[in-house]
Amino acid sequence: MKKSGLEFSFTWLFAVIIGAVIIVLALYAATKIAGSGGAETSTAAAKEIGILLNPLETSFQQDTTTTLVLPTDTRIYNKCDNFGNFGHQIIQTSQKSFNKWGELSTEIEFENKYLFSDDFEEGEVFHIFSKAFDFPFKVADAIYVTSSDKRYCFINPPGDVEEELTVLNQSNLFVNECPEQNMVRVCFDSSDNCDVKVRYTSGYVEKNSTRMYFETDTLMYAAIFSDNKIYECQVKRLISRAEELASLYGKKASILSEKQCSFNTDIRNFEILLGNYADPQDLGILLVKSNQIKQENEDSPCRLW
Amino acid sequence: MVNQKGQFKIQQMAFMLIAVIVFFALVGIFVLAFRLSSIKETANLLEEQNAMLLVSKLSNSPEFSCENSFGGTRVNCVDFDKVIVLKQDISRYRNFWGVSNIEIRKAVGSGEEVLCSLSNYPNCNTLRLLENSSQGYDYSNFIALCWKENNEGNIGNKCEVAKLIIRYKEKI
Repeated sequence: MKKSGLEFSFTWLFAVIIGAVIIVLALYAATKIAGSGGAETSTAAAKEIGILLNPLETSFQQDTTTTLVLPTDTRIYNKCDNFGNFGHQIIQTSQKSFNKWGELSTEIEFENKYLFSDDFEEGEVFHIFSKAFDFPFKVADAIYVTSSDKRYCFINPPGDVEEELTVLNQSNLFVNECPEQNMVRVCFDSSDNCDVKVRYTSGYVEKNSTRMYFETDTLMYAAIFSDNKIYECQVKRLISRAEELASLYGKKASILSEKQCSFNTDIRNFEILLGNYADPQDLGILLVKSNQIKQENEDSPCRLW
Repeated sequence: MVNQKGQFKIQQMAFMLIAVIVFFALVGIFVLAFRLSSIKETANLLEEQNAMLLVSKLSNSPEFSCENSFGGTRVNCVDFDKVIVLKQDISRYRNFWGVSNIEIRKAVGSGEEVLCSLSNYPNCNTLRLLENSSQGYDYSNFIALCWKENNEGNIGNKCEVAKLIIRYKEKI
């Protein structure tokens, strides 16, 4: 007697189950490979961004701007830590594919770079400009990263800042004229409706109800463009490098004195002061000492830097 | 008879399954090997790019540059008095530039290599900063190597042409 309906032999049932398992495994592997491929591309991009920042080290005191164009929408994550002698600049990226942000890349670390930006900058085109941080000798180049989608309008900046921004001619930085509504308004006067307030003579920037203290224009731009946590961490790293350089110049002074090329300055004391740095509020005291040894260096027959 | 036929089919299926799994495993190994070689290639390319871009700018970085020590701002000028001190403290800068070695070699002089130290400088011709490895690939750039010299009580500047060499290692 024949049974009605479909009849599956054991072999068929076994083949269907194993076939399904193989297909599921193949799909899982394909998804994993595609995912790790995305992470690999993002990691290579993060490393490449760091490497491409090498030429931004300025030769003279002139400031330079450059544009970074990426093939797809990318988020550049800016992280920083203070471990070791110089701390680390950490770059991570994530790229958009099929309208979805991909896996975060591996953390790429650099000891000799100082990036100032928000937590992350998002877009396809990024503007990068750098400015030397002299304290009083050159310490490093601060690098400011902004997405071209984010536009800044500087209202009533002091003459030298206005001139500098005009010469820089960066397409997302506007001075005094704000053509769009949704721009980040950076005010140097007491006007309202400002996202960032710069108290230039008092030496601090007010952003999201937080005060970020600065000395020198290099750190002022750093405070304007970055997140407070990144700013504090990077300034600490810059001061650590300044401390190492002060130690280097102190030892160089000893070598020069053996050649009867004397240099009378308090560089050792400055090194100790730099070592005691805790937060950006200390920058004011350090600047006084920095200006003093700058003058001593200029007056010396044998300059250290 | 039916039982034997069934057993034969199950055996056939089992062999087929093993063949399918082996096939997928081979494909997997091939894909993995291909991807690993492409990752290695990318990593080496990035190392090379780093060395290439760094060599043109390293002499202007604060640890090397002459700044205004020798009268006026000089580009591609390395302060010998400063780098010889840097050599003493180089352990602090081990991973700072992300390369395996940095060497400064005077371009003029005898062929014999005389390594620089605090005791024999500036009468030497090769300053090896990071001595991680002598293996790897080099990128170099010509620089001016300057130092202060005391000539019978007169302090003067002395500069010589030198080569700044950066070495990077290939990723294994």
